[in-house]
Amino acid sequence: MIDFQHLLAYFEQLPLLVKAVWILIGLLIIFIILLIFYLKYLRGYLRKKEAISKMLFTEYEANLINFLYSQTEEEINEEQQIIVDKIKTSITNKFKRKIFISVMSKLKNDISGEMADSINNLYIKTNLINHSIAKLKSNKWYVITAGIKELNLFEITNVFEQVKKHENHPKQEVRNEVQLYFVSLFHFKGLDFLNTLKSSISEWNQIQLLEILQKFDDQEISDITPWLKSGNESVVLFSLKLAKIYNQFQIIDTLLELLNHQSKIIRLKTIEVLNYFQVNEAKKILKNNFKNSSEDEQIAFFQMLENTVEIADEEFIVLNTKHVNFQVRVLALKILKRLNNEKLLDLKNNAANDEDKLIFNYLENN
Amino acid sequence: MDSSTVRIILLIIHYLFFIYAFSVVASYILLAIISAIESFHYMKKNSFVNYNEILSSNISPSISIIAPAYNESLNIVENVRSLLSNHYVNYDVIVVNDGSKDDSLDKLIEAYDLVKIDYLINPQIKTQPLRNGIFKSTNPAFEKLIVIDKENGGKADALNFGLNISNNQYVVCIDVDCLLLEDSLQKMIKPFLEVTDSKVIASGGVIRIANSCTIKEGKLLDVNLPKKFIEISQILEYLRSFLLGRMAWSRLNGLLVISGAFGMFEKKSAIAVGGYDTNTVGEDMEIIVRMRRHMEEQKVNYKVAYIPDPLCWTEAPDNYKILISQRNRWTRGTIEVLKKHRKIGFNPKYNLLGMLSYPYWFFYERLAPIIEVVGIIYFIILVTLKNVRWDYAFAFFLLAYLFSVFFTIVAILSEELTYHQYKKKKTGFKLIVATFLEPFILHPAILFAAIKGNIDYYFNKKLKWGEMKRKGLSN
Repeated sequence: MIDFQHLLAYFEQLPLLVKAVWILIGLLIIFIILLIFYLKYLRGYLRKKEAISKMLFTEYEANLINFLYSQTEEEINEEQQIIVDKIKTSITNKFKRKIFISVMSKLKNDISGEMADSINNLYIKTNLINHSIAKLKSNKWYVITAGIKELNLFEITNVFEQVKKHENHPKQEVRNEVQLYFVSLFHFKGLDFLNTLKSSISEWNQIQLLEILQKFDDQEISDITPWLKSGNESVVLFSLKLAKIYNQFQIIDTLLELLNHQSKIIRLKTIEVLNYFQVNEAKKILKNNFKNSSEDEQIAFFQMLENTVEIADEEFIVLNTKHVNFQVRVLALKILKRLNNEKLLDLKNNAANDEDKLIFNYLENN
Repeated sequence: MDSSTVRIILLIIHYLFFIYAFSVVASYILLAIISAIESFHYMKKNSFVNYNEILSSNISPSISIIAPAYNESLNIVENVRSLLSNHYVNYDVIVVNDGSKDDSLDKLIEAYDLVKIDYLINPQIKTQPLRNGIFKSTNPAFEKLIVIDKENGGKADALNFGLNISNNQYVVCIDVDCLLLEDSLQKMIKPFLEVTDSKVIASGGVIRIANSCTIKEGKLLDVNLPKKFIEISQILEYLRSFLLGRMAWSRLNGLLVISGAFGMFEKKSAIAVGGYDTNTVGEDMEIIVRMRRHMEEQKVNYKVAYIPDPLCWTEAPDNYKILISQRNRWTRGTIEVLKKHRKIGFNPKYNLLGMLSYPYWFFYERLAPIIEVVGIIYFIILVTLKNVRWDYAFAFFLLAYLFSVFFTIVAILSEELTYHQYKKKKTGFKLIVATFLEPFILHPAILFAAIKGNIDYYFNKKLKWGEMKRKGLSN
């Protein structure tokens, strides 16, 4: 008691700053002790959660496999109904639902055909579909995204309108998921969102969409011309990828128009597609635009010339053997070697700088 | 000077120290709060991502992994195997043997059936010349591998050679002894591909410490906590730095450094600024500052991204000698970079870079060890003059110590709530013990290294990289 009074008296006479320091020390000690206990609890909880997850995963997986292998001609038989009821009782909380969905998702990726349809059916029978649809009404973007992802995974097409409401959602992650839903479930028809899309499609999502499209048996693509003329640059870029992958030779006139597009990246990607189609008509336009083009476009044009070169191009090529850009110079000399080797040797004999000599030596040996 | 003037001067000094310490603590708390927000956002955002489509797509962008090697004979074959085992489709591995004096090249030739090839190099960045040439494998299993044998020019020069050689759109610059997880490339490329309203010029990854981890054939099989406290202390330091510090700077788009051990760049942007600077030992920080500066001057809307996932694992120093040498180099690198780019400091023309990132690094990274040492000297003087109120001093020391402990525990919590890598029983206890000991085990060595770095920078200009003796990660 005496000690405590002494301490109190000592504390009272301290300057304000030092008093504050001791108060902070006290607070920090309390926080540290609490955090250590919380850390101990958290680590234990995470370990336990992981063990339970593993156990539930195995249990659900077994249930699901039983469900799939007891499939008969009936929509759902008695044995399956028992499994459905068991699962329905088990997945009453969010944690268990999440694990069950991850099991279904894993199995869904491994199987196809009737079994995949059975999993979709189970998703409906266990009422998980209602949880997913409810998520679409959430205020939180990540809840909406999760809902769309689940509906996509289990191929629920009749909620199209509810999903469509989010196609111009302010959050990119939601928009991405909506686009994946459209294309995964409605294939090329799902690309109609490109007609009304206000925001940009990220390169990441473009790759995902194209990969999904390529998995379908039906490769009949609708007319992409309107998308190539879109005011949305990302839609044009995406359509250029479609044009190349699906060999859209019929849109060459539109591609030629795009060579004069105001966007540098669109012009560049157009040249790459025209190169792929080996369109000779593009050469005249590109030669006219050459001086005002970016270096990337110039390189792309010379890569195109590698595939489409004719005698008539020789003058233009020789002119660019002294181009300031190394890659253009190499390509020009490489093409010239094929076109007129004597001319190349002439140039070699007159080569002044070391860099050019290296190129000539390389071309001679390769 | 009369005694009242001396008292006023002393009082001013006291307040300057106090303001500095207070601002450091305040900035740490603020960064921790921002990093918590960013971590939550990042975890939520990436929980929906399907990396498989990108992984298998042949239209996904091409990447070159550039790995400079100098006298890495002991582990080079194993390390290259690890780099070749990435799951990404569209990538190659460029190993630049930077004039090694050992048999690194011979080992690579033998292990990977390499033959010399004729290769036309686009000399966009000036580098040291080739020594034995460029090699590719005759074995289709190793078709992704390119080995360059060149004259020694240092790490930056080797990376520049890799930039010249690469035909790909993006480059990952790493230390050859780093172990990359199989899904590292698709995670690192994501920020470049997902932005629609700006341009990502670089993305940096987290570096995790692999000492004592179980690694077999270039693959991380099990994460273990090392036995030595010096290694555990570095784990705590990395957790603080990567999960609390850089995460917050990433949110602010103010990252000034991407670890040289693991960073991805858009190749064109890196070449546009002239590649790595060969005249600094802080080339990893320098290239980011230069790229950012370039973007600000060009008025381009850009971003330097950061991936907190534990993708890259490396060997940390397990003794004080190597640790001090490493931190000495980091200090010199910081001084060189900040000095070279002093124009951007406090310059509103450079926006956040000039008004926040640079000043922060200048005050809290560059000056911190100097101020700390000045504080220690000042305290010794006060002790000598018997002018110390020991009870006050004790209170301030205790507060600083407890804050350091508190902040480290927050970092451990952050790790547990996000990646939870140290799962085994009793590791939590060991981490907590190390948290209490770290200020006495690691901090003095780091302070010493930083001061030595300052002295070497000003008085020993010839000092360059120094060598780190590797024990190797494989078990």
